[in-house]
Amino acid sequence: MKKIINAPENYTDEMLRGIYASFPDKVKYAAGDLRCYCTARKKDGKVAIITGGGTGHLPLFLGYVGEGLIDGCGVGGVFQSPSAEQIYHIAKEVEAGAGVLFLYGNYTGDVMNFDMASELLEMDDIATVSLAGADDVLSSSNVEARRGVAGIYFMYKAAGAKAAGMGSLEEVAAAAKKAGDNVRTVGFALTPCVIPEVGRSNFELAENEMAFGMGIHGEPGIWNGPVKTADELAAEAIDEILKDMPLAEGDEAALLINGLGATSIEELYILNNSVRERLAAKGVKVYRSWTGEYATSMEMMGASISVCKVDEELKGYFDYPVDTPFICQR
Amino acid sequence: MDKLTIGDVPEMFEKVAEIFREKKEQLCEMDAAMGDGDLGLTMSKGYGALPGFLRETAVEGEIGKQLMKAGMKMQNEVPSTMGTLMSSGIMQAGKAFKGKTELVPADMATYVTAFAEGIQRRGKCALGDRTILDSVDAGARKAVALVESTPDATFADVMAAAVDGADEGVKATKDMIPRFGKAAVHAAKAKGVVDQGALAGYYMLLGLKNYFVS
Repeated sequence: MKKIINAPENYTDEMLRGIYASFPDKVKYAAGDLRCYCTARKKDGKVAIITGGGTGHLPLFLGYVGEGLIDGCGVGGVFQSPSAEQIYHIAKEVEAGAGVLFLYGNYTGDVMNFDMASELLEMDDIATVSLAGADDVLSSSNVEARRGVAGIYFMYKAAGAKAAGMGSLEEVAAAAKKAGDNVRTVGFALTPCVIPEVGRSNFELAENEMAFGMGIHGEPGIWNGPVKTADELAAEAIDEILKDMPLAEGDEAALLINGLGATSIEELYILNNSVRERLAAKGVKVYRSWTGEYATSMEMMGASISVCKVDEELKGYFDYPVDTPFICQR
Repeated sequence: MDKLTIGDVPEMFEKVAEIFREKKEQLCEMDAAMGDGDLGLTMSKGYGALPGFLRETAVEGEIGKQLMKAGMKMQNEVPSTMGTLMSSGIMQAGKAFKGKTELVPADMATYVTAFAEGIQRRGKCALGDRTILDSVDAGARKAVALVESTPDATFADVMAAAVDGADEGVKATKDMIPRFGKAAVHAAKAKGVVDQGALAGYYMLLGLKNYFVS
């Protein structure tokens, strides 16, 4: 393991201290707990959107807390869920009189902890709606059992824009759900990552090998084999996505070309180019694309491709300006 | 003993913490093959935090509230899937014991039954899904059956029945196919091997029993 750290057990909290010290005007923590990450710019009457998940995926999850996006984030240890009590404390801090949307990735531990937090908030008469991102096409043929990966980006954007426009809790949830229903992701890894407290990678890939369909915690994909070209990967990923969510000629889509942590931005734009060519061959128009690191797996090498079918409503949400310590779109 | 007071509860959980300290490596190794390999750590850390906390909350004077708070404490300490399921079980038992300041042997059957309900409610799992529910529920049914057939059963008798049932429940998971979490990804490897979550449920009950027989 080669990492710039002090002690593995301090990985999450020392990272958080660095972030809070860097953006004191934008973010703060609740209940005296560093892991209760909240916006410092709460707006009265706005639906509060709260996410949460393990450390190791920056800018997911806390990087989305900011203007035009979301309001709070429960920060778990590396690849671990935050606790129900932490989520509860965050909700108490950022709730602004219009209810709370919980928006997180579809992982067993997160689902249970957000459910438990909902019950705690119910006792305080705070209404919550929960939505889980489940966009990873190759994680399961059963849509409800799918894992949530980078596609949640589009759900954050839709919910965030609707909430900033002072939509109701139902409207904000509907906007996020619409984005979630229309987004599909396929990812692949070229190298593993190392959880600091474990100290070694949890799987191995030979020098010339990659894992297609792998999840952002190293969950096995559908094949391991020799590294393919960007064109081949784009074709296979887009074909899997279109098999699951058919797009007609003339349909428009937003793209997210996401790096998993150790793949260069140059490579991501090569992939962007390949994906655009494949979609063009299918008659699908790319409305807009985002390329960079949006949901990583620490120092894993690899990428994911998310395709979100858009209409005028979703385009409006995705074009809405955002400003967080990690993401800015004017 | 024929009654368990609020002051006895921390010692009872100390026995559970003790067994998870002993079984830490075994559970971690089993979990590494099927999940993420931290089950033994979360169980020993989660239950390890309870005795001290229960002593502090014994001043509440009510076992129901004491257990509710203990469940929250464990959830905060180890918010992993199994940590949350265990804490949901403890909290459900807390609800069942609302207002109680002492427990009689039959209440332990209620404890195990409520624990199974809490797991099922939180995990949205069913019997046969190869989870902790398969052992705890089997334990609950045996404990309830004993209490119904033998009104003068002792604490040790009730918990021995629960442990017996849970043991059978653990063995039955060998033939079950995992449907949840990371284990579902490794479904092919599960055949013939007992579920580590079900085994953790068995150890939990064994720890409680140890308090009454030692």
